[in-house]
Amino acid sequence: MSEKNTSLAFDALVVGGGIAGGEAALNLATNGFKVLVVEKDLSVGGKMIHLSKVFPTLDCSACITTPKVSEISRHPLITIFTETEVKGIVKNGENDFDAKVVRKPRYVIAEDCTGCQLCEEACPVNVPDQYQYGLVGRKAAYIPFSIASPRVAAIDIENCTLCGACERACPTKCIDFTQKPVEYSVKVRTVVVATGFNLFDPVNIPRYGFGEYKNVITSMQMERQLAPTRPFHTILRPGDGKMPDKIAYVLCTGSRDASVGNPICSQICCMYSIKQAQLLMGALPMADITIYYINIRSFGKGFEEFYEQAKGMGVNFVKGKIGKITENAKGNLILRYEDINENILKEAEHDMVVLSVGVLPNTESEKLFVDKSLQLDEYNFVKQPEQLVSPAKTSIKGVFVAGTASGPMDIPDSILSAGSASSEAISYLNNK
Amino acid sequence: MEPEKGKTAKFLKEQQAVSPAAIENLKQFTRIKKSIVDALKEEELTISQLSEKLAMPKTDVLYYLMSLLKYGIVEKGEIDDMDEYFTYKIKKVNE
Repeated sequence: MSEKNTSLAFDALVVGGGIAGGEAALNLATNGFKVLVVEKDLSVGGKMIHLSKVFPTLDCSACITTPKVSEISRHPLITIFTETEVKGIVKNGENDFDAKVVRKPRYVIAEDCTGCQLCEEACPVNVPDQYQYGLVGRKAAYIPFSIASPRVAAIDIENCTLCGACERACPTKCIDFTQKPVEYSVKVRTVVVATGFNLFDPVNIPRYGFGEYKNVITSMQMERQLAPTRPFHTILRPGDGKMPDKIAYVLCTGSRDASVGNPICSQICCMYSIKQAQLLMGALPMADITIYYINIRSFGKGFEEFYEQAKGMGVNFVKGKIGKITENAKGNLILRYEDINENILKEAEHDMVVLSVGVLPNTESEKLFVDKSLQLDEYNFVKQPEQLVSPAKTSIKGVFVAGTASGPMDIPDSILSAGSASSEAISYLNNK
Repeated sequence: MEPEKGKTAKFLKEQQAVSPAAIENLKQFTRIKKSIVDALKEEELTISQLSEKLAMPKTDVLYYLMSLLKYGIVEKGEIDDMDEYFTYKIKKVNE
């Protein structure tokens, strides 16, 4: 099955299949436009599909994302390319863009896969599961996660030993190791950039001990532990499997910190930490939860009430800046911090620490265009030259930005931003 | 020549070598899986007890044990009196 070039034509190219990209695609398709969604991961749904619940309503995240993703996947005017990357977009003129996209091999014939997981069962390999943030293993032949869309197996070719066990187990013979990357030439009339954000890697703050102390975890790792499809059977310390009863949150890890190159507020960390604290109090009723913060930014609808609710439930809030985290012989963590209210240095012992990591720009969006410059702002998010009047417009006419590609924001704001981007794109398409 | 459907792994293996790191990882997992299963066949154990018995860091025991739990090979047992540590055992399969 040799490499082939395929020419395709759509009204709109949406780069990124997260909640913003999906919403923008759905709006465009509902208005009669043909849309191609390009997603680099094995599933659409972005980061939201991996969350436990959302703030401040504590609605189940998967219960919101799954029907939306299903609607996007089933829409007759939307084509989704997963495991696909944009190699370059050229603007020839108004309503005229040429994009090169490369679809990587999944080594599975998607149309024939029933998602039965027999290949997964047969595969003898175990590697860290990236969708569980390395807390548990997965097979080399695997369904990315239970609510993945498409729910189709994939082969992790780098870790596969080509033993053939998956092929022998597959009842539909859909495993295909002959697959090769396929390059597509796509003609589109408008582009929506919905490339999302990256999470701050706390290894870049060595004094917090992430990576060295196993009981220091990130907020996404805790998010997974709180989700119904969690990596463990309950909340456990990764260091020794103890059920923790004294958990600390360190807010602003990699946000509002010029020393790590990210001086701005990530806008979501305070609230997702408060959400997790409330969920932890439900999961571990005897646990003490302490949130170390500089300022609590509860600026959105229902946020302040959500914060007050957490205090009412017994979450302990300490206005303190963490200087250093060390580990004692029991695997507990000693937090040395400045108590900002009392202006003195203090120490506190916790048996688990969650670093509330911040939002960083996905600078890949800058590389999407070959002949034009998609300008970034001073913090490397996609620049919005007309932020107040047309927030979805970018430095390239006919290219619009949706969601966190333009800056940190929460889920409702991402969806609003996607609505704005799709409206601008529809207006552009109608004014040819 | 087109490879036979259902036998394409063999075809790719003839075209490209399997990474030595992937083979080493498989060997390591197979060895650790066997040692954990053998230890749990004797008795229910906590992660600390398994760590001591297998001379393996607790964090590694947790990672492999939770993977085996996910794959349906082991299951959790009881929690201790202090509500801190669970024991783990081989999963019983209903014939």
